[in-house]
Amino acid sequence: MDWTDALRFFRGPFFTASLLFFIGGMAYRLVHAVLMGFTRDRVESRGSKLTGVVKTYLKGLLVLPFIPWVRRTFGKNALTYVAGGLFHLALFAVIFFGTPHMLVWKSLLGFGWPTLPLPVTDWLAAVGIISLIVLLLNRLTHPVLKLITRSPDWVNWALVFLPFATGYMMAHHMFLRYEVLFSLHMMTVDVLLIWIPLGRIAHLMFYFFSRTFQGAQAGKRAVNP
Amino acid sequence: MKTQSAMTAYVREIGAWTATQLQACTRCGLCADACHFYQALGNPEYAPVWKVELLRRAFEQRFTLAGRLKLAVGLDKRVTDEDLAHWSTIVYEACTLCNKCAMVCPMGIQLGPLIHDVRAGMAAAGVVPADLVAATTKQKEIGSPLGVTGKTWAERMEWIGDEWEVKVPVDVRGAETLVVFTSIELMKFPENIAAVARIMDKAGEKWTTSSKGREVVNFGYFEADPELTKLFLARVFDAAKELGVKRIMISECGHAYDAFRWTAANIMDVPAGIEVTHIAQVMHDLWKAGRIRLKKGAFDDGTVTFHDSCKIQRRGGIIKEPREILKWLAPKAFREMIPNKEQALCCGGGGGVISIQEADPLRFAVFGMKIDQMKAIGAESVCMVCSNCRLQFVEGVAHFSSAVRVRGLTEMVSQALE
Repeated sequence: MDWTDALRFFRGPFFTASLLFFIGGMAYRLVHAVLMGFTRDRVESRGSKLTGVVKTYLKGLLVLPFIPWVRRTFGKNALTYVAGGLFHLALFAVIFFGTPHMLVWKSLLGFGWPTLPLPVTDWLAAVGIISLIVLLLNRLTHPVLKLITRSPDWVNWALVFLPFATGYMMAHHMFLRYEVLFSLHMMTVDVLLIWIPLGRIAHLMFYFFSRTFQGAQAGKRAVNP
Repeated sequence: MKTQSAMTAYVREIGAWTATQLQACTRCGLCADACHFYQALGNPEYAPVWKVELLRRAFEQRFTLAGRLKLAVGLDKRVTDEDLAHWSTIVYEACTLCNKCAMVCPMGIQLGPLIHDVRAGMAAAGVVPADLVAATTKQKEIGSPLGVTGKTWAERMEWIGDEWEVKVPVDVRGAETLVVFTSIELMKFPENIAAVARIMDKAGEKWTTSSKGREVVNFGYFEADPELTKLFLARVFDAAKELGVKRIMISECGHAYDAFRWTAANIMDVPAGIEVTHIAQVMHDLWKAGRIRLKKGAFDDGTVTFHDSCKIQRRGGIIKEPREILKWLAPKAFREMIPNKEQALCCGGGGGVISIQEADPLRFAVFGMKIDQMKAIGAESVCMVCSNCRLQFVEGVAHFSSAVRVRGLTEMVSQALE
């Protein structure tokens, strides 16, 4: 078996299996959580829950991750907030608007869309990698994070960092042969897909619950989320 | 054994609302930045994420495959009686349930209510700080956490009427508004009760107090014991039904407003057609409707600021009303602390913390941040609409030998009546 076979495996059957596991796993977690049952809110609202929800998404997605200072709270830790914001921006921009990734989506979905120019994706990827390193340093040094971090949290970091790093090296033909890097990239992506439903990266789905609650709670009380 | 009771309570409480939020947590630790206890004292165990740790363990170990697996291979720890005792001090003494962390969480997790749930497990297991239990027991048996008996209450109300020359109606059937005070006001800030009487009289409001529903504070809610919470709520709701009032007005008390206005309907049957409102809202409405007139600029001497109480402002939404009044009373002298409104810093005395003597050093350390905030804008006086905050301010200002004058907004309004 050489690297070409490996690549064929990691982007072929293993990728399909990982993707199916990801979808199945996330569906399981979704159903499992929702089946625990919501209770009805019988309290009379003071404001509009919907307004609160819309506001909290706009703020939470567009403003706070990049301009946390509006909260006037992050005296010491604004950098972490910004790093988190930039990391997610980079991640989603590269996954959805990087040309090679769009082509993967196209093969899966059957349609494509315009992508970002290579230099832009490239810079974004670099920003993503730097943000991840900042977040790692923060996790290594912040007293609260030292207290709450468990082994799966390190796995989370590593499994997100590796596809980023191998992808970046691939685009720049760094260190290793292209098909080796491509194989490693696909392998780490596959492992990540399997890992997501098992751990806390599943917040990508549960985020939409907690954010909605936050907005509804604020809207109900007519306060700014 | 204690653990068993706590876990049973957790399992009962956890539904999709809790499960989805616990799973949304990325363990980023940013909530610590919002927590005044962590900021003031630097103990990482005060981070809100760590305060819900036991609830997380209960959820993962009882409800998820991964959690059970982690437990089996030793990656996660079981909850023990020692854990309960340890976390009891953290969630009762170093948390006011102010919910600022929920404003800061990138996921928007409602940490305040979740920590309240953690407390509920403690209450079920009987691992609650002794001072809090003592106050709760007094409220259960005597009717007031400060031990005010029905007789003392009646005498005190009469005395207030004489001393300030106001009428404090008791048990008047057919009144429209039932006003319920806190024992703190009765015993420590009686001028506040006189102020309410004066305002209601001036507005020509048909109001009453009740000798049955005479305590608005809810120590069951501080403890997070669902049965006691309901019992204390029911005393007031029953009194309101009996007197046939249209609304219950909570006096200057934050947690009570939260319990009556935002929680009661979800945990018990509340009487239909009785509105729950707060003095800050009522004063504003009466003023806007022209039923009371206030002297413009009555308090324009010396910088005055407003302290946002977490349960009335951030969690209650009565944010612009007190400000409109203040801007009228002190158009030149009113200045905002930073941060304020929804983002305001809690005083550190709420959530029952003030009644736990062991927590005194913590709440004073937290209050140091409030002192800094007031200093930064050169505040000469501060006002608020919560007696619990007010008591914390009075004690805190004395603790730091600050010259800032502490007042209730209601008192100021009553003095500015025309």
